[in-house]
Amino acid sequence: MAPAIPVVIEARGLGKIFSVERAPIVALQDISFAVPEGRFVSLVGPSGCGKSTLLQMLAGLVPSTTGEVLVDGAVVRRPIPEKISVMFQDATLLPWKRIAENIEFPLEIAGVPAAERHARAAGMLALVGLSEFAERYPHELSGGMRQRIAIARGLAPNPRILLMDEPFGALDEQTRIKMGHELLRIWAKTKKTIFFITHSLTEALFLSDIVLVMSHRPGRIVGVIDAALPRPRTYDIIGSAEFGAVRNRIWKLISQDDTEAGETGMASL
Amino acid sequence: MKPSVLAAQAAFVLFVIGAWEYGDAVGLFDPKILPPPSQVAVALKGLLQSASFLGDAADTIVRVIAAFLIGAPIALATGFVMGENLDVGRSLSPIFNLVLAVPQSIFLPIFVLVFGLGFTEKLIFGITHVFFVVAINAAAAVREVPHGQVLLARSFGAGRFKIYRSIYMPAMAPQVMTGLRLGIIFDIIGILLAEMYASRSGLGVLLLRWGESYAVDKLMAATVLISLVTILINELMRVFEHRIGRWRQAMA
Amino acid sequence: MSVRRLIVIVIALGVWEAVRRFNLVGPLLLASPSEIVAALVKSWPDYLVALRFTVSEIVIALAFAWALGIGAGVVAGVRPFFGAVSGPLLSSLFAVPLITWYPLFMVWFGIGMASKIAYAVVSGFFPIAINTMNGVRGVDPHYFVFGRAIGCSRLQVVLRILLPMAMPSIASGLRIGTALVVIGVIVAEMLASLGGVGYQISYYQSVYQTGHVYLGILFALACALAANWGLSVIERRFTHWRELQIGER
Ligand SMILES: Nc1ncnc2c1ncn2[C@@H]1O[C@H](COP(=O)(O)OP(=O)(O)OP(=O)(O)O)[C@@H](O)[C@H]1O
Ligand SMILES: [Mg+2]
Repeated sequence: MAPAIPVVIEARGLGKIFSVERAPIVALQDISFAVPEGRFVSLVGPSGCGKSTLLQMLAGLVPSTTGEVLVDGAVVRRPIPEKISVMFQDATLLPWKRIAENIEFPLEIAGVPAAERHARAAGMLALVGLSEFAERYPHELSGGMRQRIAIARGLAPNPRILLMDEPFGALDEQTRIKMGHELLRIWAKTKKTIFFITHSLTEALFLSDIVLVMSHRPGRIVGVIDAALPRPRTYDIIGSAEFGAVRNRIWKLISQDDTEAGETGMASL
Repeated sequence: MKPSVLAAQAAFVLFVIGAWEYGDAVGLFDPKILPPPSQVAVALKGLLQSASFLGDAADTIVRVIAAFLIGAPIALATGFVMGENLDVGRSLSPIFNLVLAVPQSIFLPIFVLVFGLGFTEKLIFGITHVFFVVAINAAAAVREVPHGQVLLARSFGAGRFKIYRSIYMPAMAPQVMTGLRLGIIFDIIGILLAEMYASRSGLGVLLLRWGESYAVDKLMAATVLISLVTILINELMRVFEHRIGRWRQAMA
Repeated sequence: MSVRRLIVIVIALGVWEAVRRFNLVGPLLLASPSEIVAALVKSWPDYLVALRFTVSEIVIALAFAWALGIGAGVVAGVRPFFGAVSGPLLSSLFAVPLITWYPLFMVWFGIGMASKIAYAVVSGFFPIAINTMNGVRGVDPHYFVFGRAIGCSRLQVVLRILLPMAMPSIASGLRIGTALVVIGVIVAEMLASLGGVGYQISYYQSVYQTGHVYLGILFALACALAANWGLSVIERRFTHWRELQIGER
C-alpha cells in the first residue's frame, strides 16, 4: 500500500447561520470534507448556496456557527497568511501601486526585508510570464493579466494553500481556457493545494482531482466526484466520452437538487 | 429607514440633550457659557413672546423671501436658456463655475460700499446667493429631458404645450427642485451673514449683539431655533424632491 | 500664460483704471488698480502681519478639520450601522447656516484666534466627513477581505488599503472643506476679531478707505486660490493612478 497523503485542510461539521433582521438564514449545514496535500479540489453549486462563505471560513476570515476548520491539524481561528492565500473574481490589485509593488505588498505586511521582497516578486513575475510588466500599473494590463498578477501575489508569500473564489469568472471564454491551462502549469510546478470555486462544471472537471458538489439552502455537500482523468490534461479531453459522463453525473446532482428546491419553494408560496 | 436606525438617531439626540442638561446640573459646564437646555427653552419661549424679537425675525424673513422671489425666477429663466441653447450655455458656464468657486461672502464689504446698509444691499446679496446655484441646476435639469421621447411625441403629433407638460416638466422637476432647495438655504445663509456683518435690524444683528454681550441663553435659543427651522425647510423640500422623483420613476 | 490672455488682462486693467480716472464710478464704490497699489505701498507691513495671523489660523483649522473629518468619515464608512445612523444626521446638519453659530463660538472661545479656528473647523468638517464616508463605502468589499487575508491589522487595512482606495472621493471632500475653512476664517474675522485679513477688510470698509478694502479682498482671494492650488497639487499626486485610468477609457 502507498503511504497515505497527509490532509492539509479539513472541514468538520461546518455550519453557518446568518441572522438578517432577526430572521436566521441557515447558509451552510454540516459540511465535512478533507483535502489531501497537493490536490486540486473544485467546489461547484448553485448561485447563493454558500460557496464564498465556505471558502472564507476555510481561510479563517468568517467564523463558523458550528464545527471547525483544521489546517495541518490545527484549528483555524484567524487568517494564516503564511499558509493560505485567497483570490477573488476581481484581482483586487492596489491601483496606485506598480505591478511589482503589488506582488510585494503581502510580503511587506509580513515584514519581509526589501531585498528579499524584490527577489521574490521578480521570481513570481517570471513564473506567470509577465516580467516585462513589473513597472506598469494595474490599469495598463488586461483582465487576464491582472488575474495572473493576483496569482503571483498569492504565491509570493509561499503559502501551501491557494483558495480561489471564481478567479476566472469575469473573463471571456478564450482567456478563461488559457488561464485554466496556465493555472495547471503553475500548480504542477509549485505543488500547492488548491481549493477552487467555479460556476463552470467543465472548468471544475478540467482542472480538478476532486469536485465537491453543493446544494442550495441550506448549503450541504451532496457529492464528492473523483475526477481521475489522466494528466497532463489538454483541451481535447473536454470532448471525450469519459469527461462527458462525469460532467453529466455532476449536472444530475445539481439539477436534482434544483427541482427539490423548486418544489419546496412552490409549497411555501 | 430601519426602526433600529431611527431609534439610535433619536437616542443620540436625546443623549446629547441629556448630557448637556446633566453637565450643567453637576457643574461640569459653566451655565454662563453653556446654559442648560431647560434654561434655553425658557429663553426661547420668552423670545417667541417678545414683539421686538418677532419684529427682527420678520425683517429677516421678508429679506429672505424677497431675495428668493426675485432671484429664483430670473435664475430659472437663465438656467433654462443656458441648458436649451448650447452656445449660450458653453459661453456662460465658465463664468458660473468661477463665481461658484470664488467665495461670495468675501465680497460682502463691497456690497455695503456700493449699496449702503439698507434693504437693497441685503436683497441683492441674497439674490446673488440664490441665483447661481438655482441657475446651474436648472441648466442641468434641461439636460435630463429624454429627447427620444420628445421626438416620439412629436411624431404622434403632440403639440408644443403638451410636450412641455408631459415630458419636459416631469423630467426636469427633481433637479430644479434640488436647485431651489439649495437656493433657499444659500439665501438664508447670505441674508443672515449680511445682517451680522452690518445692519440695523434682523436676526443676524441680534445674534452678534447677544454674542458680544454674553446674553448666552437668548443667543443659544435663537441659534437653535434658526438651525431647526432651516433643517425643517431643507427636509421638507427634500421629501418633496423625492416625491417628484418617485412619480417620474413610476412614469418611466 | 498665452499672449492673448495677457493682452485681455492688460486691457481689463486699463478699462478698470479709466473708469475710476474719469470718475464714472464714485471713489467709495470702486478702487482703481493704481489706488490698490498705492494702498499696498502705504500699508504693506500691516497687511503682512494680518496675513501671517490669518494663515496661522487657517493652518491650525485645516489640521483639525482634515483629521476630524477623515476620522469620522472612515468610522462611518466602515461601520455600516454607525454610517446609517450618522449619514442622515450629517446631511441634515449640512443645511444648518453655520454662520449663526459663530457668536456662540465667540462666547465659548473668546474673540481671539480660537473662535475663528473653531468656526472654520466646523464648517470644513462636514464635506470632508461625508465625502470620506462615501468614498470608503464605495470600496469593493473584497479589498477588506483581501487585506485581512494577507494578515493586515484593522488599522493597516484602513491606512494601507481603504484610505488610498477612497482617495479620489476624499480629495474632492478636502477640496470643498479646505475652501470652506479658508473662507470661514476670513468671514469670521470680518464679523468680529482683533486681527487678520478679514479684520482689515471690515475695518477699512467702516472708515471708507476703498483702496484698502479691495487690497484686503485680493489678499483673501489669494489665500483661497493658494489653498485651492496646493490642494490640486496634492490631489494630482495621490490620485494620479485614477486619472490614468479615466484617461484610458
Ligand atoms: N454577511 C452576510 N449576512 C447575511 N447573509 C449573508 C452574508 N453573507 C452571505 N449571506 C447569504 O448567505 C448565502 C450564501 O452566500 P455566498 O456568497 O456564500 O454564496 P455563493 O455560493 O458564493 O454565491 P455565488 O455563487 O453567487 O457567488 C446567500 O444567500 C447570502 O445572501
Ligand atoms: Mg460567491
